[in-house]
Parts: sequence; C-alpha cells; structure tokens
Amino acid sequence: MTARLGLRLPGRTKKERKPLGPYGRVGKAVEELDERLGIAKGGKTFLDKIFPDHWSFMLGEIALYTFVILLATGVFLTLYYVPSSALTIYNGPYKPLDGQLVSQAFASTMDLSFTVRAGLLMRQMHHWACDIFVGAIVLHMARVFFTGAFRKPRELNWTIGITMLILSILNGFIGYSLPDDVISGTGIRIAYSILLSIPVVGSYLAFFLFGGNFPGTSIIPRFYVLHVLIIPAVLAGLLGAHLFLLVRQKHTQFPGPGKTERNVVGSPMYPVFMAKTTGFLFMISGVVALLATFFQVNPIWQFGQYRASIISYAVQPDWYMGWLDGALRVMPSWEFVGWGHTIPFNVFLPAIIFPGIIFNICYAWPAIERRYTKDNLLHNLLDRPRDRPKRTAAGAAMLGLLSTLFVASATDVLANFFKISLNTVLVSMRVLTVIVPVIAYFLTYKICKELQAVPGAGKRKVVNVVRMTEDGEYVATPVAPPQELADHELDAEPVPELIEEDAPVGAVAAAAAARGRPGNVGTSSVRTVPR
Amino acid sequence: MSDHPTEHGPSRTPVPMPTSASWSDPHMQPAARHPAFVERLIGFTFVVGLLSFCAFGAAYWQNWAPWALGLTLGAGMLFVGTGITAWGKYLMPRGPFVEERHVLQSSTQDVEAFTNALVERGATPVKRRKVLGGILGAGMGVFGIVLAFPLLRSLGPLPKNTLATTDWKAGSYLVDQSGNRISQYAYAVGSILTVFPEGWEDQDRGQAVDQTILVHLEAEGPIKGMPAGRSTWTPAGYVAYSKICTHAGCPVGLFERELGLLICPCHQSMFKLAEGAIPIFGPAPRPLPQLPLSIDADGYLYASAGYDQPVGPGYWERP
Amino acid sequence: MDPSPHSGVRHVIGAAVLGVTVVLWLLSFAGAAGAATHKGSPPKVEKQVIPPPHPFYDQFNSGTANSSKRIFGKNGQLLVYGDTDVMYYLPQVLVKDKTPVALWSLGEQLYAQNCEACHGVDEDGVPPAGTPAVIYPNLVGLGPATYDFWIESGRMPAASTPQTQPMRRPARLNQLQALAISDFLNTKSPQCPFCYAASPLIPNVQDLATANLSDGAALFALNCAACHTITGDGDALAYSTFAPSLRDVPATQVAEALRTGPGDMPVFTGNLTDAQLRDVVAYVTEKIEHPQNPGGLGLGGIGPVAEGFIGLALGVGLLALVGFWIGDRS
Repeated sequence: MTARLGLRLPGRTKKERKPLGPYGRVGKAVEELDERLGIAKGGKTFLDKIFPDHWSFMLGEIALYTFVILLATGVFLTLYYVPSSALTIYNGPYKPLDGQLVSQAFASTMDLSFTVRAGLLMRQMHHWACDIFVGAIVLHMARVFFTGAFRKPRELNWTIGITMLILSILNGFIGYSLPDDVISGTGIRIAYSILLSIPVVGSYLAFFLFGGNFPGTSIIPRFYVLHVLIIPAVLAGLLGAHLFLLVRQKHTQFPGPGKTERNVVGSPMYPVFMAKTTGFLFMISGVVALLATFFQVNPIWQFGQYRASIISYAVQPDWYMGWLDGALRVMPSWEFVGWGHTIPFNVFLPAIIFPGIIFNICYAWPAIERRYTKDNLLHNLLDRPRDRPKRTAAGAAMLGLLSTLFVASATDVLANFFKISLNTVLVSMRVLTVIVPVIAYFLTYKICKELQAVPGAGKRKVVNVVRMTEDGEYVATPVAPPQELADHELDAEPVPELIEEDAPVGAVAAAAAARGRPGNVGTSSVRTVPR
Repeated sequence: MSDHPTEHGPSRTPVPMPTSASWSDPHMQPAARHPAFVERLIGFTFVVGLLSFCAFGAAYWQNWAPWALGLTLGAGMLFVGTGITAWGKYLMPRGPFVEERHVLQSSTQDVEAFTNALVERGATPVKRRKVLGGILGAGMGVFGIVLAFPLLRSLGPLPKNTLATTDWKAGSYLVDQSGNRISQYAYAVGSILTVFPEGWEDQDRGQAVDQTILVHLEAEGPIKGMPAGRSTWTPAGYVAYSKICTHAGCPVGLFERELGLLICPCHQSMFKLAEGAIPIFGPAPRPLPQLPLSIDADGYLYASAGYDQPVGPGYWERP
Repeated sequence: MDPSPHSGVRHVIGAAVLGVTVVLWLLSFAGAAGAATHKGSPPKVEKQVIPPPHPFYDQFNSGTANSSKRIFGKNGQLLVYGDTDVMYYLPQVLVKDKTPVALWSLGEQLYAQNCEACHGVDEDGVPPAGTPAVIYPNLVGLGPATYDFWIESGRMPAASTPQTQPMRRPARLNQLQALAISDFLNTKSPQCPFCYAASPLIPNVQDLATANLSDGAALFALNCAACHTITGDGDALAYSTFAPSLRDVPATQVAEALRTGPGDMPVFTGNLTDAQLRDVVAYVTEKIEHPQNPGGLGLGGIGPVAEGFIGLALGVGLLALVGFWIGDRS
C-alpha cells in the first residue's frame, strides 16, 4: 500500500535481521522477557528446584490435580446448572419423573445427566474427583503428620492445609446438596437442625443462612454462590499460599545417603519432575474419567425431587462427612431442658463441638508438640514414624476414632449386609468409639517400640545364598544386592547442564575423577549446584 | 539446622560445574540403557492416547453413550499420562540430584533494622496520639458492626415464634398429599399415611413443618396405654404424630407394624407408637408430639387441637 | 421403558390362569359337586347376602368388593372382582385328566403336609404337639392374597421354626399349590363382605405397560422409600427385622404385599387406589428391578457407602499406586 503510493515511512529500510544467538528463538524470548521482568535468575533457580523422589510426596499432587479437574468439570457444570428452587415441570427422557413438579435445580441436573452431551460424564467426573480430592488430602495430611513435616518452620503451611481440608469438606457437602434430590435434601435438613442446636444464636444462624424456615427458596442459590465462587476462591488463594510456602521453604526429605538438613535431594524441576508431574496430571484425569465411566455416582434420577415429607432409608452423606453422621448416630439422647431453654446436646456435641475439637487439635498440634518436646529447632529431615512413638500413636488413635465413626455412619447398611440386629450394631459402635482409639494408641506405641528395638527393621536385607557342600555342610554366602537395587544407594549429584546421548561409557566417571570428585561410596559427597 | 554443623564448613572448596551426564551414567535409569525399546513403548502409548482422543471426538460428535465418552477420554488421558511419566522416569536423568537449602532467616542486622523501623519510626507521630488512635479504632469498630448487622440481618427474617408453631388448629381436617380428607373407614388396620392440615398440603411450610404421620393402629379406639390425658386423642384406633424427628428433623416415615415402632431412617431413633411415641432407642431425646384427633359425623378425621408443643428438633428458645 | 419380556410372560401366564380357571369354574358347576366327594362333605360355608353398595366403596376404589365386575360363587362367596386396573380373583377348580378337581381339596392335603405342624389343624397357630414354644400366626381370616404371598415368595413353608423374619427364597410350592392352599384356607375363614379391603383375594395387576410410571415413582418415594430405600434395595430395621430388597419380586407379589402388609409392613389400602396400585407395581417391576444406570455400574443402589468405598479403595488407592510407580521407594 505504502509502496504503491510512493510513500516511505521512516526507519522502514529493509536491513539484515540480527542473527539469533546460540539459543535461537528461545534465547531471544528469554532475553526480551528478562529485560522487562528479570526472570532469568529466578527462572534458573526454578528449573533447578529439586523435588524429593519418595512416592509419599505424590499424595499432595493427587489432591492438587483433582482440584484442577474439579475446577475444569465444575466450569462445565455451571454452564447448564440452574441454581433455583423455582418449580417447573420436568419433561425429559427419563420417563418415571416425566411430568413431575420439580425445582429448576433438579430439572437442570436431570438435563445434565440425560440431555447435555457428555453432561453425565462431567457430573460423575466432578463427583469422583471430589471423593478422591478429599481422600488424597487426608492421606497427604497423614503423611505430613506421621513424618513430622509440620514442625518448625512449616507450622503455617500445616495450618493452611487444615483450613483447606475443612473448606473442601464443606464445599463437598454443599455441592452434594445442589441437585436438590431426596438424599441431598435430607442432608440439608440435618444441617438446618445442626445450626438450630447451637445455643443462643442457633435459630438466628439457621434463619439467616436459609432465609427463613426450612427449606425456603434461598438455600439453593446461596449454596451455589458458596460452592462455585466463594469457597473455591478462598481455596485457590490458600492453595497458592500453600505452594508458595512450599517453594520458599523447600521440601522436607527422609534421611538417607547424602541427605542433610541443609540440602534437598531428588529430581530437578526441569525436565524430570515436569515430565513426571504432567504425566501424573494426565493419569489422574484418566483414572477419574474411567471411574466415571464404569461406576455410577449419585444417580439422582433414581432418587427424585426432594420434598420435606419424603425420606429414604440408607441416607448417608458422602464419605468425608461420614464421621460426622456417625457421631450423630452413636451419640446418646442427651438434651438439656430448663429455665425455659433447650440445649440439644445430642446434636450440638457431635455435630458442632466434636468437629471443632478435632480440627482445633489438628491446628494446635505443632504448638502442643513444641511445648511437650521443648524442640524449637528448624527441621527439614523427616522423622520415621517409629522414632516418634507417642506422636504416631496419637495419630493412630485419631484415625481410629474417625474411622470408627465413619463405619458407624453405615450401621444400617452393615446390619443389612451381615443380617444382624441394627440395635446390636449401633450399641457395638458406641462401645467401639470409646475403645478403638485407646487400643489403637497402645498398639501403635507398642509396635513403634518393637520396631525401634530391631535395628535395621524395614531396611533392605542382605541376601544370603545357602549352599550344601559336597560334604553335606551348609554354607551361607552373603550376596551383593543386584545392580538395580545398588543404584539406589548412589550419591546425590548436582543437576547436569546437558544430557549427551553419545557420551562413552564411563566418561562421566572419568571426568569426575579428573575433577577430583570424592568417589568413595557411602560417605556423604554432596555438592552444590553453582549459580 | 544445628544437626550437622560441620558438614558444610567454610573450608569446603567449590567444585566445578559438571558439564554433562550421559545415558551410560549410573544416575540414569537402568531402562535408559536400552532406550530404543523404551522409546518404542512410549511412542506406542502416545499413539494409542492420540487415537483415543480422536475416538472421544467421534463419540462426542455422534453423541454416543456416556460410557463411550468416558472410556475414550479416560483411556486417552491414561495412555498419554503413562507415556509422559515413563519418559520422565526412564529416559531422563534419575538423580539423585541435590540443591542447597538457603537459610530463610535474615541477618541479625536486617532483623534489627526492621524491628527498629517498626517500633521507633512510629513512636513519635503515632503512638503519642493515643486519643486519636482510640477514636479511629472505635470508629472502625462501629463501622464494622454497622456493616455486619444489616448484611447478616438482611439474609433472613427473625425466627420469632415460627419454629414453635404449626398450621394445625382445632378443627383442621387431615388431608393426604393430594388434598383428600381422610375417612376412618378407608384404611385397614396397619395402614400408614402422611397427612397435612387442609389447605397446606402442597405448601412449602406444610410439607416441612406440618407433616404428620397417621397410623391406623387398632381396630377400635381409643388406644390403650397412651399417656395420661390423651385418652380421647385416638378415636377409632387412629393415632397421629408429628413426622419430624426430635433429633435432627428427618421425616419419621418408617413404620413397623408388628413391632409397633416408628423409626427415623436417618439416625435410627425408635419411637413406641402405642405409648405416645416415647423414644426407646437411638439419639432422639423426646417423644414425637402427638396430634389429638377427632372424627366428624361423616367419619372424617380432624384435629381437635393443634400440637401442644413445638415440633421437630430442639433449639435454644424451645421452652 | 418397555416392560421386560420376563415380566410380560409372567403377566400373560397370570392372565391365562385367571381366565382359564374362571371359565372352567363357570362350566363345571356340576363337576365341582362330584369332585368334592373326595373327603367327606365340602367345607360348610354360610350363605351370605350379596353386600349392598356402600358409599365407602364408591369413594375409595381400592381393591374392594364393590368394583365394576363381580362374580359370586354359589354360596355367595365373592370369587372375582376388580376392574381394568387390578382384578382380584380366587380360582376354584383344577381340571386334571379332564376331571375337574376342587382346589380346596388339593389344598387340604398340601396344608396337612406342609403347614399343619406349626399352624395347627384348626389353622389357628396352635400346633398339634401342644403348647407352642413360639407363637405361630393364626391363619384364619387373613385372605387369599396373604396366603399366596407367603407361599409364593418362598417364605412359607419355613425350613425350620422361624425365630427371625423369614426371607425370600425360591418357592418350595409352585403357583398352583399355593393357590390350592389359599383356596383351602379361604374356605376356613368366615365370609365377611367388608373384609375385602384388608384381606383381599389375589390381585392380578392388569396391563402394566400402560401404567403411569411417574405417579408410581412419586408414590414409591412417599410410601415405600422410608423402609425399602429409594432404590428399593432394602435395609435393616429395628431388632433384627429387615425391609427386604425389591429387586426380584414378581408383580403379583408386590400387589399382594401392598394390600395385605406382610409381617412388619404397613397395609396400603385407602391411600392407594387400584390405579395407583398398578402404577406402583409398574414402577417397582420396571424401574426398581431394572434400574436405569447410564453412568456405569449401579453399585447395589446403596449410595454413598458404596461410592465412598470405590472412591477411596479404587480411586485413591489406584492413584497412590501410580504415585508409587512415579516416585521412589527409598
């Protein structure tokens, strides 16, 4: 255009393009970005960041990636779900509900399940991802607890983690309530009663949350805002803080060859960990998708629209709320009535006070332990659970208590499955709730002590080959472990800058020898990555 | 931090950066010594994953069954993920590699300077004017309270006595879900049904608060064994209780005819029907409130009075 | 959406049995008298007046004797009643080698062989051996639907003294034998025109394919789900009683159970018209017994308990194993 008009813009003379540096386009991009943002130094540190290789460090990743799946599938669901209690006539392919008066929330969830393409798959993936999400959080938390990873300087991250667990459980319950089906409606009804049970302010809280008497028309839209906006936003913020602290304080690690309080041994962020973790994200998505393919979850069409007068037997909440439901079941029927007031301890204690105590113990544990052990040092190396028998036993007792209550939430299903009296099952659960934690504590303590007493228990054994000589004499010969196992005992190396495909065998070793690398295996020979 | 103080002494000489690692390095996975096979395997997973994603696209396009969508998507993700992971695990340097941990703690001088700034800099201009600060604090507090109250208060009405009342009045006819009145002749002994006060059967509140369970317990009324003062509440063998559990508010819809029990399906509280619904098992603390019944000249059941107490679970204001 | 071929066959057989027996009965007044000479005289049945129309029956058309179609026996016994939704009937005669045999006589033999040891010669729950260790039910006046339900669902005759609730199992007596015993026991019962609501004849649900599934689902949720669960899987009730699973119950037995309330089950009469009965039966036989599971395996219909198990054991477990592969062991 300009050429045809005979115009010439200043500075548009065609000149030789400046040749790219040795790193090509990537190098150019890094240069440009660094001029503006100064990314190179931090970027290099980030690429060199070491992640411990131990498998138990993957549990948190399961939680992280199921959260990603939850966000992705959740966004899909919000495109179709209608958060309204307004009544409408369901007309859809599922005939047994055709023509029934249902809420728009229920109708839109039915449409998601039967009409929207891939809607049922996304719904089921969302639900399974949630079940796995909370499970992975609990396992991750157990790992952190039993290995003492919560100790100074990581108390703050422990606190953030528990807050995220509480929010996840809460959001799981709220999401479970959104379809407005018979079973979730029953859950909301119980939640309303739990709010009512709080002394003095209970009825006000219940009325403010529900916008009046149960069920009202406000709870579905309010739960929706909580479920898709407020709680996920807080969760995402806390997750960011959790990961930021993780990067800033670096990982903990199990003690081992070359591992000290002052280093981290494992795989570098780039490329090893990046490949592994990306692969893990895909594999987790795959497992969730396959679960959603083969196992049906929460078939609301079989339940139907919630009405306050309809109840189904065998109503349980999702598993992560099970321990609270179990606590409600095993609680004796105590209620205080006097001076014109009622305090329903049978609900208030198990549903408000009990989880409050449990979570506060979790929050306070690092402080409790610090006070008890007078240990105010910074810890980056993890404990083996057996070496801290009291902490391990306490954790086992807590897990024992919660698992017992979790089982107690299925008293009716258990009684039906084993064809025993429901009353017997419940009374047994009441007894077990008291004794299981005690037994778990002492049993775990004893096991820890026993393991401590056996040196090298759990370590890899030396293989003895027993041969019979010609004289009939038996001779045991210790055999060196196979090469693959021996490889695990290698010393930690700094991150290599380059991987050469054709380097001759032994070249690295020779180079190391030339550099004067301390090669005696077994002693710590850790070197820093120069920057 | 003080566990191994000698390990990184100042005498340590810096080591030159290693320039390369190779496939034959023992730090590589054993599998990487035969990379061709591993490469082929990973390539295979990528191809299968890719094909699965294509199949997912086709399944979505053709709107196939959910299982076809899930299978293709899941298989694609799983194969691709396995391939990438295997790449990272078998074809990349395995380590262990090491990174130095930096001391997060600032130097004593920095801490000193920060604390000093925090304490001393504000001392004169801020701390001396305590009154001003106090007024400001009070103002912010009032602001917060003023902001919080309408925010909370606008969320819902005050409970007043709505929790304590139902729509059952003396003379309310019992009707079923469809609004039909209940004739004493229509139900064989052992029948059970959910009833509402006439006019409320299809209302939100009627379902949630007024729902009542009516049982034809015996052929002849009044039922013997009822608590004192309720001898006339069970004409013709019919008895009615609030359907809301006194524990957590679930509908007590489970009736065992031969045992004569009402059971709450949520937490298995059991109520003895013929004895004023006293709880005999489970976490429910109180009997279900009973609705006094009467029968009119045509044989229809109506409530001779409303409930004499609040129905449902306990709460603070409940007398 | 279509009823399964299996239940269709069952309905055809039911209808055929009904039709054949009624026609045979009508054709064989004389033969019946001859066949009845088998053991003494036929049971004494008091002559009953045909019940007058009652306003109650018109208002609540719920399996009562005032239906549009009624057939009375020569003793004034009501043998068939009902309408297009549910037909209640009691077959009387079996044709064996072209000889009509009164079912009650066959039933008398079967009763002596299978039931008498517990329920007694007078069918009143007092066994011949004397004072019973457990209280056996008095069978008089319960109605043919009750007898037929207990026998055809395999709960009776019980294998041994039932200390706990008898459970459904393969029936030990076939349908004809069940009908015969029902017939025999019915002759022992006093005829009571107003009792048909509570002790009805055997209901044969007509034309299940045209039932309103939507109404059936709503009625099921309100009336049945509290015990049998919303998916019909059944659950444990108080003190070793159980709400049985509804996954394998023929249509006739569903109707019989609803109308008679076996064991701890309530009786559903006034709150279920015959049309509603048919809707519920259709919902149970179609959607409870053959639930629509587009999302994969149904996990037994026990909801979050099974889901939590799968999610934790399979989901988290599998992923932990994957993590075990990705990560290191030492």
